[in-house]
Amino acid sequence: MKTIYKIFIAGIVLLFSGAVIVSCSSTKDKYTAVTDVEEEFKIEKSGAQMWGEACNRCHLAPSPADYNDTDWETISLHMRIRANLTEKEITKIEAFLKSAN
Amino acid sequence: MKKLIILILIFGVGHTVYGQTYNNFDTDSTTTTEPFNPSKTQFMIRGYGHTGLNTMSNDDETESSYVGSAFAPIFLFKHSDKLLFEAELEFVLEGNELEVGLEYADVMYVLNKNMTVRAGKFLLPFGTFMERLHPAWINRLPTTPLGYGHDGIAPSSGIGVELRGAFDLGGPSLNYAVYSTNGPRLKDGSEEPEEAGMLMFQNFEDNNNSKAFGGRIGLLPFADSSTEIGFSTYSTSKVGNRDSEYENVGAFLYALDFSFVKQIPALGGFVDIKGQYNNSDIDDATFIEIHEEDGEEEEEEYTFGNNSNSFYAQLSYRPTMAESDFMKKLEFVGRYSNFNAPEGAEWEEQSEQYAFGLNYWLTWRSVIKIAYQTTDSVGGHDGGGITNGFYIHWAIGF
Repeated sequence: MKTIYKIFIAGIVLLFSGAVIVSCSSTKDKYTAVTDVEEEFKIEKSGAQMWGEACNRCHLAPSPADYNDTDWETISLHMRIRANLTEKEITKIEAFLKSAN
Repeated sequence: MKKLIILILIFGVGHTVYGQTYNNFDTDSTTTTEPFNPSKTQFMIRGYGHTGLNTMSNDDETESSYVGSAFAPIFLFKHSDKLLFEAELEFVLEGNELEVGLEYADVMYVLNKNMTVRAGKFLLPFGTFMERLHPAWINRLPTTPLGYGHDGIAPSSGIGVELRGAFDLGGPSLNYAVYSTNGPRLKDGSEEPEEAGMLMFQNFEDNNNSKAFGGRIGLLPFADSSTEIGFSTYSTSKVGNRDSEYENVGAFLYALDFSFVKQIPALGGFVDIKGQYNNSDIDDATFIEIHEEDGEEEEEEYTFGNNSNSFYAQLSYRPTMAESDFMKKLEFVGRYSNFNAPEGAEWEEQSEQYAFGLNYWLTWRSVIKIAYQTTDSVGGHDGGGITNGFYIHWAIGF
């Protein structure tokens, strides 16, 4: 068990170090919208599509009308962390929910 | 005196009438043309509740009871765009008593777009069931699979600190979580001999200064985010009490989870497949069994290979593309789960369970669940046998 534990701790340390290095070395602090060219070729998914995909992974996708914009901001921050969503996903989902409520 | 009262009445009524007649509400802070400006600090109460009827029967007896009335408020305090506090209380009526529990209470801070730190008591990302799927309005069946809950082998929450986040890989995505908690405590049998060798995860104070470390990596390999494969571990070098003979007993747990959720036009609806395998390996230790022989208590030492595992797989289908509104709100669910506790332990058990359910979704967060479940056990607390259950539950999220 001790050997397994040491290997495991080494793995955790590697994972932690990798996550810190990669996330802190990112040049972008905030998600930026796609360019016109990307939009034209439909490279990026819409917020509505992400809402349907990400929310349904655990529960039924919520109705945008059930909360106001301020509530959606709080819920989005909460869900971003709880469901481990990417910043791009939650930014676009939040924008969709606010636009559709 | 009468004149004074009349004068006061005339003044009071006149003042009110004047105020009602000529007030144009110009001085109010809220007008239709100038909406109020929401503050950055936000407070919300969310949560869920459920209630229902359980009918359980085995070879000896049948029990039927209205149960639940569980209420689990979740408090969210958003201090800024990066700082959030969450806490969940759980009120459950059980055994003629009201049980109150603090499911979690933690503070979270978004460090950057790929990393968030959490500290406090939080749900552990050991697989996905306990962290994401167990709330009654999310869980598609009224019961939890084998291997979770009171005698389960999967840890549900812990007190400590965690880093988590997600990376967009240009279509696929990857999420991770690493954490350290107080870790579990080994039941040495001094209080509950029938549970000697079990891990108790509700360890609010560290009993041996040895922290538990764990983590989960989840990969969503496809751009439509329909599929997620996860691997979780949880390990500690010491689970016994400090200075006890069990202090150096270690534990290593791992879990594999799978999820597939997608609307498939050929099948006319949403298909949702979930599964998780849990394995717990605890160092062997020697425990003491006390039994009576010829009227005298005798102690006998025993040991066993302390390895347990559990598994569940669940399939649900919602015909969301049906023409009938009624059909669109239906959901069909089936789940298989099993649990194997170590041979030679007082809590030795081999159980298999099948559950089938029919759900009707009133809204996206309110569901009526009807389910039948049959469990075939050998060993365990109840001595084994076949137990059948019929459940009607109503769950609501808010």
